[in-house]
Amino acid sequence: MRFNEKELISLSRQPSERAAELGMRGPKKGDVVKRRLVKLVVNFLFYFRTDEEEPQGALLLEQCRVEREDSLAFSITFLDEAERKYLFECDSQEQCQEWIDSIIKASYEFMRKNLIFYRTEIHRLTGKDPLEQYGIEDETRFQVTSGLHLMPKDI
Amino acid sequence: MKIHEKILTHYLSCTSPIDKEGYLYKKKERTSSHQRRWFVLKANLLFYQERPADRHLLGVIVLEGCAVQRCESEGGLFAFSMVFRGSGLKTYGLAAEDQLGQESWVKALLTASHCYLSLLVRDLGKQYEEAKRQAGPAESHPRTTVTGPGSMCLTQSMTYLNSCSSSFLMPEPERREGGSHSASNLLQAPPIPSNVINKRSPKHWPKRNAHVTPINGPAPPYGEWPQLHDYYGEEVKQLRADWLRRRQEEEAQLEEDLIDLSEH
Repeated sequence: MRFNEKELISLSRQPSERAAELGMRGPKKGDVVKRRLVKLVVNFLFYFRTDEEEPQGALLLEQCRVEREDSLAFSITFLDEAERKYLFECDSQEQCQEWIDSIIKASYEFMRKNLIFYRTEIHRLTGKDPLEQYGIEDETRFQVTSGLHLMPKDI
Repeated sequence: MKIHEKILTHYLSCTSPIDKEGYLYKKKERTSSHQRRWFVLKANLLFYQERPADRHLLGVIVLEGCAVQRCESEGGLFAFSMVFRGSGLKTYGLAAEDQLGQESWVKALLTASHCYLSLLVRDLGKQYEEAKRQAGPAESHPRTTVTGPGSMCLTQSMTYLNSCSSSFLMPEPERREGGSHSASNLLQAPPIPSNVINKRSPKHWPKRNAHVTPINGPAPPYGEWPQLHDYYGEEVKQLRADWLRRRQEEEAQLEEDLIDLSEH
């Protein structure tokens, strides 16, 4: 499958919310923990071999489960398959928790849910659809879930 | 660089909604010929394949850091391009069969980036806090935002926003003095000419993606569920209250209708 590699590499160089050298272990049997520069940019987790400019890989952080493994480590499981469980080792408990929080909040789907929540709540409280001011109220991606229609607030 | 294809394709086929799909013409690199491809837009990813039913994906375009703009029509098609900002980076040439398609794709792609959604959520979050404040004591159920514990401190988030919007082209960017960006300016979608009939999209997810919560979604952070639970819980409470009231009314009615056999 083709992808816009150069553009993705360029993205990996953007200012990051969270970047650190962590111990990283791949999902396959026999994979060992290796030090990698792990960088969170938008909903991608890039990982670099130390001192390399180009990332070794990019993990899309959607449809995945992030879990605390022990006091210093967390894991990300993709496709609900144990065979796709990546382990990350941190230097402190705080760092570990911060990474977990950041990864969860980086997911596009998580942000979309928040948006829908705010949109519905603001409409409930004010009677106005907050997306109208931006002209995007009809975009499919911002629609309230089925059955809930934004009606003018009954006074 | 390894992109972990299976993760991408799994995301495409999972239950979360598709934001837009349809046929578009894609310009072949280095030639001016077009190939008809089936495009599927989901989050900040634009997938393409030969036909809708195909299992084999031809490619994916990650939509961060690109400007989307309409172009002059080419060969009867309504063209637009995605220009990635940065030296040596690509420009994708796409085209729709009609103007409506062109307009709606351009708009959908402009609002597709993670950066854009991030700004929007932040802005709406502030509006929500403001709306709650104004609602005051009438708002009897205290709700906190869904950002959860450990959220970024304000300076960090502002830095992120500023670098986000300065690195990438946003729709209608406007810089204000003083450093902080007005989110409302950056979020404005480009105006669509008024003679285009605005086809209203249905205000619900397409049938095959009708789930609220993805089945394989991430474990919700503990900040989020109480709020969503409260919110949906309210609906349920209201429905129950209505149902109970109606039942009581019905029962009262039944008692009146019963023939009193006690006095004989």
